[in-house]
Amino acid sequence: MSRSQAGVDRPLRLSGSQPFTQQPGIFVMIGERTNVAGSPRFAKLIKQGNYEEAVSIARQQVENGANVLDICMDEGMIDGVAAMTRFLQLLGSEPEVAKVPFMVDSSKWEVIEAGLKCLQGKGIVNSISLKEGEQVFRHHASTVLKYGAAVVVMAFDEAGQAATYAEKIRICERAYRILVDEVGFPPEDIIFDPNILTVATGMEEHNNYAVDFINATRWIKANLPYAKVSGGVSNISFSFRGNNKVREAMHAAFLYHAIAAGMDMGIVNAGMLEVYEEIEPELKVLVEDVLLNRRPDATERLVEHGESLKQAGSAVREKEAEAWRSGTVEERLAHALVKGIDTYIDEDTEEARVKLGRPLLVIEGPLMAGMSVVGDLFGAGKMFLPQVVKSARVMKKAVAHLTPYMEAEKQALLAAGHEVKAQGKIVLATVKGDVHDIGKNIVGVVLACNNFEVIDMGVMVSCEKILERATQEKADLIGLSGLITPSLDEMVHVAREMERQGFKVPLLIGGATTSRAHTAVKIAPHYSQPVVHVADASRAVPVTTSLLSEEGRDEFVAQHRAEYEAIRRNLAAPVQQAVSLSVARQRRSAIRWSAADIATPEFTGVRVLREFPLETLRPYIDWSPFFHAWGLKGIYPRILEHEGHGEQARQIFQDGNALLDELIADRKLTAHAVYGLFPANAVGDDVELYTDSTRSHVLDRFHFLRQQVNREGNEPCRSLADFIAPGETGLPDHIGAFAVTTGIGLQELCERYRAANDDYNAIMAEALADRLAEAFAEYLHQRVRQEWGYGHAEQFTPEDLIHERYRGIRPAPGYPACPDHTEKGTIWRLLQVEANTGIQITESFAMWPGSSISGLYFAHPESRYFSLGKIARDQVADYHLRKGMPLAEVERWLGPYLNYDPASEG
Amino acid sequence: MTTVSQHPLVQLLKRRIAIIDGAMGTTIRTYGMAEADIRGERFRNADKHLLNNGDLFSLTQPEMICDIHRRFLEAGADIIETNTFGATTITQSEFFVDDPREHGGRKDPAFYQKIIEDGMLRDLAWEINEKSARQCREWADRVANETGRQRFVAGSIGPLTVSLSNSPDADDAGFRVVTFDQVKQAYAEQVRALIAGGVDVLLLETIFDSLNAKAALVAIREVFDEDGLAAAHRELPVMISAAVGRGGETLISAQTTEAFWNAVEHVKPLSVGLNCSLGPDLMFPFLEELSSKANVAISCYPNAGLPNPLAATGFDLGPEDMARYLSNFAENGLINIAGGCCGNTPDHIAAIAQALEHKAPREYEVRA
Repeated sequence: MSRSQAGVDRPLRLSGSQPFTQQPGIFVMIGERTNVAGSPRFAKLIKQGNYEEAVSIARQQVENGANVLDICMDEGMIDGVAAMTRFLQLLGSEPEVAKVPFMVDSSKWEVIEAGLKCLQGKGIVNSISLKEGEQVFRHHASTVLKYGAAVVVMAFDEAGQAATYAEKIRICERAYRILVDEVGFPPEDIIFDPNILTVATGMEEHNNYAVDFINATRWIKANLPYAKVSGGVSNISFSFRGNNKVREAMHAAFLYHAIAAGMDMGIVNAGMLEVYEEIEPELKVLVEDVLLNRRPDATERLVEHGESLKQAGSAVREKEAEAWRSGTVEERLAHALVKGIDTYIDEDTEEARVKLGRPLLVIEGPLMAGMSVVGDLFGAGKMFLPQVVKSARVMKKAVAHLTPYMEAEKQALLAAGHEVKAQGKIVLATVKGDVHDIGKNIVGVVLACNNFEVIDMGVMVSCEKILERATQEKADLIGLSGLITPSLDEMVHVAREMERQGFKVPLLIGGATTSRAHTAVKIAPHYSQPVVHVADASRAVPVTTSLLSEEGRDEFVAQHRAEYEAIRRNLAAPVQQAVSLSVARQRRSAIRWSAADIATPEFTGVRVLREFPLETLRPYIDWSPFFHAWGLKGIYPRILEHEGHGEQARQIFQDGNALLDELIADRKLTAHAVYGLFPANAVGDDVELYTDSTRSHVLDRFHFLRQQVNREGNEPCRSLADFIAPGETGLPDHIGAFAVTTGIGLQELCERYRAANDDYNAIMAEALADRLAEAFAEYLHQRVRQEWGYGHAEQFTPEDLIHERYRGIRPAPGYPACPDHTEKGTIWRLLQVEANTGIQITESFAMWPGSSISGLYFAHPESRYFSLGKIARDQVADYHLRKGMPLAEVERWLGPYLNYDPASEG
Repeated sequence: MTTVSQHPLVQLLKRRIAIIDGAMGTTIRTYGMAEADIRGERFRNADKHLLNNGDLFSLTQPEMICDIHRRFLEAGADIIETNTFGATTITQSEFFVDDPREHGGRKDPAFYQKIIEDGMLRDLAWEINEKSARQCREWADRVANETGRQRFVAGSIGPLTVSLSNSPDADDAGFRVVTFDQVKQAYAEQVRALIAGGVDVLLLETIFDSLNAKAALVAIREVFDEDGLAAAHRELPVMISAAVGRGGETLISAQTTEAFWNAVEHVKPLSVGLNCSLGPDLMFPFLEELSSKANVAISCYPNAGLPNPLAATGFDLGPEDMARYLSNFAENGLINIAGGCCGNTPDHIAAIAQALEHKAPREYEVRA
């Protein structure tokens, strides 16, 4: 049938900065508020030249769910070409809007062509028609195809607008044949607009307009393969202007029937669409009588009923997608910067100023914090350059709001006889020999937005000219940029010259080939003032602000020098070869998932074992580490016969067992455990735990890391997440967690021994408690394997257990497979560990008392221990986002595992 | 339109992965040329530093450039690129015209209007394109005859030094330094000269701004139409290749991979792909996406990692590294055309060619 043919086989595919693909059965909403004919407010703003406000209308449309924006400047008082160009160029700099495709809407061909020249993506032209004959039609269609846009074809021909069903389908078919057969236009990119005309006008011949449109739509979808149907929906209800309640009901009901007939998209007010089911029943009948032309007096009846609704106003409120407004002022400022929203920036900035007392504190505090989030997101590939620029432009507004206050402060200081520093001034240039400066220009914009005076000298600028200008302008900073490798030598040259000429200002280095390492090693040594590498535009502001800040400068410079010194030192020890995170993920443990390997536990949830008998644990003790604790190397029991220290070993073994007898008999130590099993599936490198077996609610998450370095050949890059069935397998897997302690009472016991000057037994008691804790973990694991339903048949000797010959593993956070100690926090939450066992975790996630062990259970036969090794920056960036922990904090916890220097910007 | 599907390069792509050459700039730098060498007699008195205007070498040091072409061909390249990445009036102007910003002025459409009308720049751009195309043609045919394997010349069309999507003005996000029509004209002249010099295909590469690319594609269409190539069924196949960042977005205009494909699909290119960028290690997901969306050949010729001035080669990855990455792409069925961008010498290309020799090309439906 036509629907599947047109809707599924060849959907309409468009793009802004993001792709848009029409989904089967989903109506495409084309926002109408950026159309001067459809929105008096928009028209007024354009006529006044208030494009900034006009852009915010576009943004609202996108926020309200418009898939495409219709942009129309057809109005007598507006220069269409200029207005279309300017508006689209502004939208191009508005990342949240530029992601959607645009519909260039005009009856003037030159305006359409001007619009097409501004679209990087695939938009829609609205519209072309046969009004001026086939030759013009063909020319227009080929031009649209040349620019790569879809096209709306109006049902119009040399004789005028098609009003009836017969005219509509005749013209559409004729246009379709020319487009497909002669022009070679892709049929899926043809969108017919068979004219939605106003009904209920009082003219009898208008009564069937809605029906004609709906029938024509059905015919087009059945007879013109892959073509789409659209229309300007609000036309239908023009006769009820001023009565929004009726109009919205008419739109909803009309769309309901037209969509059923195959209408793919429509020009609508995306924020004001009523739902068909929610139209009041009485009104719905009256509206449908009109639309479907069901009775001759339908219009009068609707008009009459409509009068009573006039006061009701609109049924639908424009959606307020603005939950973020309820956050603290710091959160709101950060959100505004990250999302590039300037709507509330003045009021939020003012609130922050009042709260913090001084304008500069707002800039150096919440605004800088927001920009640094922007920097992190950009560094992680989660934000793109135009968004960084947009954030900077929002920052500019905030700074502009604060400027008068800073001026007033300055005047007050001057009046009081203090010295006042002027606004920072920076000379920027692309060095001699290099012509690339788009990136440098972006840095210039970002700095200018942050209240720097930027003197941009352009490209191919010689060293002499840069230094001359910097001197002349009394610049506070010099920034050099370059994209090609030879520029690096030129930068070294500039640094040398600055030293020779006795410059005192910091030198900034940026551009695609530059790096922190190169700057530290090759450039910085030639100039005695700070030489700082700026990784990208998003980092420019923090660096420059720090370098010019009265309070922060010395600390920044000292830290910076130390970091560069460390880089120079470390260069002798190169980092290990790492594969990227995406490659590492492809090389995850190759597990063939099958239901047979997924055991079903006899319970889920949490179980507690209190005051567990120590004698039960005794056979589970692995004695070898006991000797290690006493500094004796060797394996139990062979160690007892060791040539050198066998006798000593025998002695402590005997003493140890004697004390153990006493500990057990007198219950000098108390053992508690808590453990739990939870429905779980892997999602990426995380494991999601669910509240119950329906797996519909996430209870908590464990975040795991993946091996990245020195994985040669086909060695898998393992992560613990590999051992839990991924959600897409559909297998109902589980994960377990536990915490055990045998250390309750240990501290008091040892204190008693020490008070009696019996250090030997104090150490012995600690060593035994540790062994008992390990034994408890081993015992509990065995018990859990049985309760998990796969360990019943185990016939392992204690030695087998010690050598972990059983199925499944119990790795602990902080140990090689998952070295992030902070994951213990999740275990504590899940198992209520402190309440159930008395084990606490300290700020550094150590467990107290000692002789406590916690960990996770994995049951899959292929699960195994491994050592994570070093991880690369891309994984850390990903982990920080997954875990929602600040990057710097992640880097602090994982310090020894980083395959890079976190101080370098990479 | 049947010309493209019958093109011998398309026939080749059905059988195996085609190899495209490596980096001109990186390789030039191994010859130790100095400023005087690139100037020669002809540009002896130029005001600005020219050494990094590598396209000029095709005029002043043709022996070296031809030697590089030969080495890439002998390394196994099926396709060599003309040395014309910056051979437009707009890019050349950066080396020959005073930057108004040095004197407090700015670059804007009025400035670039003078540039695209400048007789010296137009002649120079034309000459570089035509000469370089002829040099490539000669060597491609010579090596083809010697080896019995057809070789192809791709006319390299770079991204320009200006962006149609970005405003360098902090006070006006709607400002652009140059207009679409100016960019289109600069590209149209380059395309005509490349065709006059005898290239087999047009290669629009290192696209960091999709709107610049769109202007080039419109220019190509207009040249085909206006010069009668369309009517005579002599349209050249077009290859399209973008430079993307960590999120798979075009580096300046931030268009994601699928969005980019939607925007260029209408020209029915011979291939679409990725080059330059941050190196091969970050490319996989974006190649995969492109490969699943686009029913044309997929090309991939990344940088040899990131520039690393502290590494011996100036780039992170050596020949074996590149060969390994591209093999991995091939084994995953993602590519039809492979090679290298910045940092890839003839040694890199030889390693890549060898590694891919028996790897199956990605399967795709050749459009009728």
